[in-house]
Amino acid sequence: MKLSGKVAFRDIETGIWVLEGDDGKTYQLDGGDRNIKKDGGRIEADGEVVRGAMTIGMVGPVFRVKSYRFV
Amino acid sequence: MTKSLSLRLLVGLGVVVFAAACQEDRGAAESEELTQRALETTPGPVKAIAPRSGDLGNRVAGAIVVDFKDGTSIDEVNELEEGWGVDLEWNSVEGEEDGIALAVGVEDLEGALAEIRGNPDVESAEQLVEYGVPEGDEARWEATPARGPAAEDSGEGFRPNDPDYDKQWNLRQIHMPQAWEKTHGKGAVVAVLDTGIAYEDSGDEFKQVPDLKGARFAKGYDFVNDDDHANDDHGHGTHVAGTIAQVTNNKEGVAGVAFEATLMPVKVLNHFGSGTSADIADAIRWAADNGANVINMSLGGGGYSQVMANAVAYARKKGVVVVCAAGNAGRGQVEYPAAYPGAVAVAAIGPDGIKAPYSSWGKELDIAAPGGNKSQGEQNGILQNTIDPRDPKRSIYAYYQGTSMATPHVAGVAALLIASGGKTPDQVEKALFQGAEQAGGSAWTDQYGHGRLNAEKALAALKNPKEVAVVEERVTEVAVEEGTEAADVAGAEAPTNWSPLLWAAGLLAVVLVTLRGRARPGYLNVALKPGFLIAVLLSTVGLFFLPWIGGSHGSEVLETIRLPIPDWLEKIIFGRGKLANPLVYSALLPGLLGLFGIKGKAFRPIVGGMAIGFAGILAYSAFAGAPALSWLPFTFLAIPWLVINAGICLLIARAMLKKEAA
Repeated sequence: MKLSGKVAFRDIETGIWVLEGDDGKTYQLDGGDRNIKKDGGRIEADGEVVRGAMTIGMVGPVFRVKSYRFV
Repeated sequence: MTKSLSLRLLVGLGVVVFAAACQEDRGAAESEELTQRALETTPGPVKAIAPRSGDLGNRVAGAIVVDFKDGTSIDEVNELEEGWGVDLEWNSVEGEEDGIALAVGVEDLEGALAEIRGNPDVESAEQLVEYGVPEGDEARWEATPARGPAAEDSGEGFRPNDPDYDKQWNLRQIHMPQAWEKTHGKGAVVAVLDTGIAYEDSGDEFKQVPDLKGARFAKGYDFVNDDDHANDDHGHGTHVAGTIAQVTNNKEGVAGVAFEATLMPVKVLNHFGSGTSADIADAIRWAADNGANVINMSLGGGGYSQVMANAVAYARKKGVVVVCAAGNAGRGQVEYPAAYPGAVAVAAIGPDGIKAPYSSWGKELDIAAPGGNKSQGEQNGILQNTIDPRDPKRSIYAYYQGTSMATPHVAGVAALLIASGGKTPDQVEKALFQGAEQAGGSAWTDQYGHGRLNAEKALAALKNPKEVAVVEERVTEVAVEEGTEAADVAGAEAPTNWSPLLWAAGLLAVVLVTLRGRARPGYLNVALKPGFLIAVLLSTVGLFFLPWIGGSHGSEVLETIRLPIPDWLEKIIFGRGKLANPLVYSALLPGLLGLFGIKGKAFRPIVGGMAIGFAGILAYSAFAGAPALSWLPFTFLAIPWLVINAGICLLIARAMLKKEAA
């Protein structure tokens, strides 16, 4: 699935990266390369939501990025 | 039985079946709402185990996890798998014990699962869920933390000499100095299911952090790499373990809650913080089998998993207190595993005692504990010794915030309670909840559960049940007076729900309608006999409403008869009536008593009342949509099971009343 939104760092637990999706949901980012970690950066990403996933971040569904680009 | 009688009875039964069928036909959204309503009003069970709709998402393609009945051998599995066309292997060395097996590369996943679930040797089977976890390498930490807030040091109690103890506002907030006067948690074993603990010096790879030097460790297990060395390669688990049992009064670093307790390192999340449902379920059972008194799970966010729910129920049955994080999404939904029955769900508060903005909350919440609130400054986080996420060999002192940080405070106090003589999870949880500082004077709120953790008061509640009983009565009064939603949910601890009795009355009316007009007055006479009425009452709601049968007077017998009869067995075996047992939630008991009782005139009204009562509570459970039946491999069978058995109970009741009235 494709998602767009803003990449953000959340200082929760040991620190996590999320995608504040334009659909109003917060996704915990997974996958993608290191460069995706740009606080405030807007991206369009293709990937899948691992909605059954359990995390120590516990902020929302995990979005596993296959590919992305900054817009 | 005459033809017309049978017909009328069938019509009566049909009403019940139809009502239940309508129930099943409603949309997912509505069934969710019903589950919620059931959660608020069902007596006994605090949490429904029905899966929430909508949170079962993508899972590992072609991979399944099967939970065989404990003791199933690999030979039996090999024999079975041939018929299923899958290649199952034990998930870990625990397989022989706990029966959790994995298969990958399964082509027809749904077909295989359906077939596997149909086998009587299988407890549950589902697609494997892979757990994603946040990357930790951007953690903000300070090697030398800033000065913490001067959380008031009353000067009372034990004051450890750890140099950074002043920065641990969280420990003073939960009254640790006073609690440390009583106990340090010696003898209690706390399993930390996380990314591991930096507890061993092992070659070039791992190094014990200095403030865990001298701590007590039980034999651990690494479920990620399948070995005996559950060292931390992430940083989260060591921080969590530090809150529980950081070495204290050693002139090094910081303090921990139960610093003489024994830590059991159990690694279930890898160096990226990823893990699988199979590993976590295995680990829960492993910890319970290897002497853990408390399990700390500072993880969450997954969908409902029957395998996990069973594992939590198993641990609880073995007397383990299971403590889990409520979640960091800041929303009104407690994450799994905290939301499973049998788990203590923990929310996070800041230094001001107010719920932290990130902390999730909701119906299943049990208690609130310090998790920090760094939006008011770094020093308002929770400070412990852990490893540098960039270099597992390097020790750091880090301020983290999260419900993960709140959870080990509760696990630590649970260890103190166990070290002070707390025997069962029931006793420990009761002391935790009754010792908690109520939020706004309410017995329970969905933001703070039973209130804010207080170690000193929890220990007092354990030692002095009489005093606690008084507190509880007052609590109940407040809750009822306010008539708020909190009062409804507080009912989970002290059921205040009459619905099953109303259902029984309704069904009695159905039975009466199916009788011949002339005979009705005779039946009605029977139905007004004290034996009948008491049997109905005991079967449907129990004696919770009698003030002198309080919850904490210590008598198991009194505690049991507060509950309706179907919950007694569960209460006697498992310590609390949270899950329903399908054997008892059936027509079995009234049926057996009916066989013996139908001959004795004095027994017939009692058995009749019991049968009507059982029909009432079974039908209500089916209606509520949250029957929470344990040991039923297929949750979809639960409602038909309840409906059919309610019908049989009605037949029994009718036979009893007929014989009596004749």
